[in-house]
Amino acid sequence: MKKRSITIGWLYPDLMNTYGDRGNIIVLTKRAEWRGINVKVEQIFVSTSEKRLATCDLLFMGGAQDTQQEIVNRDLQDKKGKVLIDKIEKETPGLFICGAYQFLGKYYKTADGKELKGLGIFPLFTENPGESHARLIGNVMVEPKVEGLTSPIVGFENHGGRTYLDYKNNRLADVTKGFGNNGKDGSEGIVYKNSFGTYLHGPILPKNPQFADLLLTKTLEHKYGEKFHLEPLDDSIETKAREIILNKLGSL
Amino acid sequence: MNLLLVLLGKLALFVSQTFNLGSGSTWPGHIAMETNSNFVRDVLKSNPNLKIVLIAGTNGKTTTSLMLQKILEEAKLKVFRNEAGANLLNGIASSIIKNSNILGNLVYDIAIFEVDENNLGEAIKQVSNVRSQLSIVLLNLFRDQLDRYGEVNTIAKKWDEALRKLPLSTVIFTNGDDPKLSDIANDSTLVRYYFGIEEKEMKSEKPGVDSDFTYCPDCQTKLKYSKTSYSHLGKFMCPGCGLTNPETETFPNLPHSLFGKYNIYNTNAAALVANKAFDVPIEKIKDALSDFKPAFGRQEVLKYKNREIIMLLSKNPAGFNQSIEAIKDLNKKGNILLILNDRIPDGRDVSWIWDVDFENLPKDSKIFITGDRAYDMGLRVKYASIIHNSEFIIQNLEEAIEEATSETSTGETLFILPTYSAMLEARKIITGKAIL
Repeated sequence: MKKRSITIGWLYPDLMNTYGDRGNIIVLTKRAEWRGINVKVEQIFVSTSEKRLATCDLLFMGGAQDTQQEIVNRDLQDKKGKVLIDKIEKETPGLFICGAYQFLGKYYKTADGKELKGLGIFPLFTENPGESHARLIGNVMVEPKVEGLTSPIVGFENHGGRTYLDYKNNRLADVTKGFGNNGKDGSEGIVYKNSFGTYLHGPILPKNPQFADLLLTKTLEHKYGEKFHLEPLDDSIETKAREIILNKLGSL
Repeated sequence: MNLLLVLLGKLALFVSQTFNLGSGSTWPGHIAMETNSNFVRDVLKSNPNLKIVLIAGTNGKTTTSLMLQKILEEAKLKVFRNEAGANLLNGIASSIIKNSNILGNLVYDIAIFEVDENNLGEAIKQVSNVRSQLSIVLLNLFRDQLDRYGEVNTIAKKWDEALRKLPLSTVIFTNGDDPKLSDIANDSTLVRYYFGIEEKEMKSEKPGVDSDFTYCPDCQTKLKYSKTSYSHLGKFMCPGCGLTNPETETFPNLPHSLFGKYNIYNTNAAALVANKAFDVPIEKIKDALSDFKPAFGRQEVLKYKNREIIMLLSKNPAGFNQSIEAIKDLNKKGNILLILNDRIPDGRDVSWIWDVDFENLPKDSKIFITGDRAYDMGLRVKYASIIHNSEFIIQNLEEAIEEATSETSTGETLFILPTYSAMLEARKIITGKAIL
C-alpha cells in the first residue's frame, strides 16, 4: 500500500495548553505512526505565517487561561482566523477543547460581563455567569451521538463558561455523569462538519482511542478522497484505565 | 480568651499524640481559628519581638523552610515552623499552639511559616498588622491542582494584590528567574531581594511544555530566552518593552547535599533570607548547609530490604520533570516506581501527567507503576514508548513496592516518584510507621 502521511496543525502550543492537552497530539501522532502513517506536527504560533496553517490536514487547539486567550484572540482576528474558518468550512477535521471550543462560537461573555467576539464558526455562544457561580469541575462521562463512536467518552471537565448550542441536534454527546456544555440541558460538545468541540480534558483522546481513530480516519479520507479502515491496536491499558474511571463514576 | 485557646489546643494536641490520632498538625489550630478567626494575629501581636518569615510557592516550600531553620538555629537563633504540608491557617495556628508556653508566650526569635499558594492573602492578613519584622519568600509558581485552584494566573493575581497590603518594613525575597514573580516584586515599593542560579547551570534555551509564564507580564509579547533552567525559569528579555531579569544572588560556593536545579533555587532562597534578613554570614550558611538532611519524601533516602530507596515527591509537571532530570543526573543503577493517586491532596484531575516529559526517563531502568490511577500513568508511559504492555502496572501499592524492590538488586537504588497522598502511604509501608 502507498505510504500515507498527514500534517497535524497544533494551534498555539505555548498559549493554549493547560490540563495536559498536548496528550491529544501525542496520541494522534503515535496511533498514526504505529500504523505506518507518516506524521508531521506543525506548531502554529502567533509568529507563524497563516500559509503554514493552510497546509494542515488535521487541526487541534487546547484550552487556556483568560490572559492567554486574549493574545490568541487578537492573532485570530487577522489572516490566520480567515484561513482557520476556511479550512473548517471546507471540512478539514479538527478537535477543539474547552477555551478553543468557546472561541469558535459566536461570542464569550466573561465573568465580569465583557462580551468577546468569537470566530463565529460553531453555531453556539458561551456565557460565564460570574464568580459567584461555581466552576463546573469533575470527572465526566458522555454518550456520543456520532456515527462511528459506540463507546461512552470519559474525561475531566473544568470550566466557568456555560455553552448553549443553537441547535441541540449538533451536540457531540449526551451527558451521563458530570455537567457538559452548561450543566442544564444534558448536552456536551458540538459536531460541525468534520470538526469537534468539547469541554473534555483528561486529556480526551488517550482514554478514548475510538475517538482518536475516528479523527485519524476522517483526516485520511478527507485528504485522499477514499475510504480507510485503520487496523486495530492493542488497547488493553486504555480499556483498564477506562474501567477505573467508569467505576469511579458508578457506571460499571 | 486566646490563652484559653492555646491551653485547650495544647490539651487537644496531647490527646491526639497520646492516642496516636494522627491529625495533631491541624486540628488544635482548627478549633482555635473557629473560635477566634484572628487567633493567629492576636497571638503574634502579643509577641512583637518574634520575627516572621512566610514562604509561598508551588514547589520547595518545605525544603526551603527546613534549610532556613537549620541555618538560623546554627546561628544560635530560636526558631519554630509549621509542620510540612500543614500550610493552611489551621496548620499555622497549630504550630503556634504547640510552641507557646502555658502563659501564651512564644519564646522564640523567629517563626517560619510555609503557606499554601492559594492562602497567601489570608496568611498576610493575619501577620500584616503585627509589629514584628516580616519577610515574604515567593519561590515559584507553576500549574498545580487546577481542579482546586482554577488558573495559575488567578494565584498570581492574588499574590500581586496581597503584596500591596503589606507594612512598609516588609522585605520581599523572590525568584529573579521567574518572569511573573520578578515582575510582581518589581511593581512593589517594598525592599526586594532576588535569588537565582548561575547561568552555567542553565542547560537549555527553550522553556518547557510545563511553562505557564512565557509571555511578557507587562505587554504580552512573547519573551525571548537566552537560557532556561527549567519550566519558564531562565534569562529572559521582552522584545516589546525590554523587561528583563533583575540582578540575582546565585551563591556559587554553597554546598548542595540535595540534587537537582530546583534545590539550588531552594538553597539560594534560604541563604538569601538568612543573610539579608537575619545577618547570618555566608561562611556560617555554608557550614549549616553542608550536612543538611531532607524533609520526609523530598529526596529522602530510606533503606528497605537492603536496597536504597530515594523518595522524590512529584506532584505537578514542573516538579515531576525536575525529578526525572535529577534521576538522570545522578546516574545511579536501579529502577523507578511511579505512584499516581487522585485524592483531594493530589488533585482529582490527572490530566497534568501529559505535561510531564516521561520521554526523558532513563532507558536502562525498569519502570513500575501503581496508585489509584495506575492505568492512566501506564497509558502516559506507553505513549512515551517506554513500556509496551501492562506487565509493569500493579494496582496494589504494597505489591508494587515489593515487586519493584525485588526486581532491584541489593546495592542498587529504587527511585519512588509519588504524588502527595501516595508519598505518605508508600513511606508508611517502607518505614512501618505513619508520620501524618
